[in-house]
Amino acid sequence: MLNRIVLHITLILSFFFVAQSISIASYPPGEEGALCLGCHGNKEMSLTFKNGEKLSLFVDDRSLMTSAHKNVSCSGCHKGFSLGDHSKRQFKNRRSLTVWASDACRQCHTFKKGIHLRMLGALREVVCVDCHGSHAIQPVKESGDACFGCHKYGLSIPFKDGSRHSLEIDEDALKDSVHNKLRCADCHFGFSSKEHPERDFKDKRNFTIITSETCRRCHFDKYTKTLESMHFNVLLKGNLKAPVCVDCHGAHGIKTGRTEKIESARRCKSCHEDIYQTYAMSVHGKSLISMHNQDVPVCSDCHRAHDISDPRMADFRNNIPQMCSNCHANEELMKKYGLSTAVLQSYLEDFHGVTVSYYKKQKNAIRHIAVCTDCHGIHDITRTKGPDASIVKANLVRRCRKCHPGASDNFPDTWISHYEPNFKRAPLVYTINLIYSIFIPFMIVGLVLQIILHIWRYAVNR
Amino acid sequence: MIEIEKKNGEFIRRFHPLRIIEHQANAITFIVLVVTGISQKFHNSSWAEWIIMNLGGIDNARVIHRTTGLIFTVLTLQHILTGSYGVILKKWMPSMVINLKDFTDAIDNLKYYFGITDRPARCDRYDYKQKFEYWGVVIGGILMIFTGLTLWFPTKVFHLIPFLPGQIIPAAKAAHTNEAMLALLVIVIWHIYNSVFSPDVFPLDTAIFTGKISKERMIHEHPLEYERLTGEKLDDAHGEEGKEEHGPEEISSAP
Repeated sequence: MLNRIVLHITLILSFFFVAQSISIASYPPGEEGALCLGCHGNKEMSLTFKNGEKLSLFVDDRSLMTSAHKNVSCSGCHKGFSLGDHSKRQFKNRRSLTVWASDACRQCHTFKKGIHLRMLGALREVVCVDCHGSHAIQPVKESGDACFGCHKYGLSIPFKDGSRHSLEIDEDALKDSVHNKLRCADCHFGFSSKEHPERDFKDKRNFTIITSETCRRCHFDKYTKTLESMHFNVLLKGNLKAPVCVDCHGAHGIKTGRTEKIESARRCKSCHEDIYQTYAMSVHGKSLISMHNQDVPVCSDCHRAHDISDPRMADFRNNIPQMCSNCHANEELMKKYGLSTAVLQSYLEDFHGVTVSYYKKQKNAIRHIAVCTDCHGIHDITRTKGPDASIVKANLVRRCRKCHPGASDNFPDTWISHYEPNFKRAPLVYTINLIYSIFIPFMIVGLVLQIILHIWRYAVNR
Repeated sequence: MIEIEKKNGEFIRRFHPLRIIEHQANAITFIVLVVTGISQKFHNSSWAEWIIMNLGGIDNARVIHRTTGLIFTVLTLQHILTGSYGVILKKWMPSMVINLKDFTDAIDNLKYYFGITDRPARCDRYDYKQKFEYWGVVIGGILMIFTGLTLWFPTKVFHLIPFLPGQIIPAAKAAHTNEAMLALLVIVIWHIYNSVFSPDVFPLDTAIFTGKISKERMIHEHPLEYERLTGEKLDDAHGEEGKEEHGPEEISSAP
């Protein structure tokens, strides 16, 4: 009782004291506010919960002034509190106070539709003040912070098929991502605290595919490339397993594409497991995995990243020699490994190479002409020297027979490798070329001399 | 082939119409083979690309080349058969056979060109230059046929002759392409000179088109044959030399 009298006296005294200052500052919270701040303007004031947690009861008058609720009196929200009635309540902890206090909001903000209504039902953990703040309440802008108010909790979205997908965002992952300067609404176009359209998705995959569409708003060049890709084609045909942007790049934790090459290969692996395993055993894959060699090609070097074309199409096939020569005709790169750069030219000079070169120009060719991969392997490219050489040759005769049925076992020998014919490797070819290289000039010089002599004699005779 | 008739006293029949047709057919197949073949050899150059693309692509160019090659093969075979038949059964004179005199003729002619002797070699129906060209075409043609067939049917070759080494295919390609180059150069330089630009025949040796040759040219270029056909003995070299100086002009003005 004495306690209460002392409180009353203090309040009344402070009222007079504060009243003077309002006349200068014209306090927005009105008379009642001034009265409350008489005590709650004291920074020392605090409340101790049962669990020992402390909460400062200090209310900053400046934050109240800029608040959206600057015209609402203290008791407008803090129902049941007044100068005369300052009921004492016991709370388990700070959070339970927050949750209890948030109930007050619904006295005015009754939501009949929209995201808030849904959240009221779905959320136990998130309350109004988590997003909107308390005394310094602001109209919530589309800042990341506002979204995290809800999305750092275990929110989830229900799909029509009954499954749910977590909408909880890992804030740290977002901060590490290349998009850390972007605001949520930059990608989640049309979403804000005010506008938070409700959407119905069939299932999680549908949700992912549709959400991925947002990437094109900035990365239009990549998006148009994907339209020509094998993956998009498959997607169009109704295979929803076909990857969209986020399947390879991730969503919130999106990283730059220029990471270690192996990372890029691993992304493809998540769907193309068997091919990855074959690749891992190839001369390129082994070098990449065991030695972290960044010179070797990974999936995207041959198949491209966004405009991945169907490797079964003639266009892709006919471009393989150029594809391989991106590295294998590069002097500097091949010198490191002691490999010849003549491989492209020697192929192009050969019968198959000529055909493929013309097929590329003709655009109407349907025959599959042997290219690099037919002899050397596709994903299982092996060394042509050393212990693998015999395997290469054994595979070769099988490939030859696809176009040359009835080819004998020694038929692959007709290809005298990528080297200029020399006396040791191909004596017959070398000798024939040598003979003609002497015989043709000899013959031509002889004939031209005869002609000159003939004309000269004729002129002299005249 | 060797039946020669006199006409108007001025012209002597030199070629049977069938031989004229044969030459024209050979010339056409040769041109087609060169156009489709050389554009494959120099496949990187823009003119070759123009030719191949206008022929409807590399496959078409090859089909044309191979078909024409077959026609060439037939022409060569019929020539060998006709020649053999004529020489063996019909007692044609084997005038194309190379003999010792051709070598001495060549040396004599060189001497004449250098001014060591004052008259050229006296030749029979075909002089050594013509024989050289003829056998070049026949032997080169057979080589082209065999290497060409090898490249056309690369797997069959190993069935026919199993012990052949693999490099027979690139070797056939090397021989085919080099021999073609040689043939083209000989035709362009030697044959075109001798039948078009040579002062003896300029502007054109019409013998292969009309089948006839002027008496003057006959006496000048094939005196031995002329003597054999007519039975008359030609004058000594000096008399002929005098004629020769007017010869070409008369021919060029002749119809």
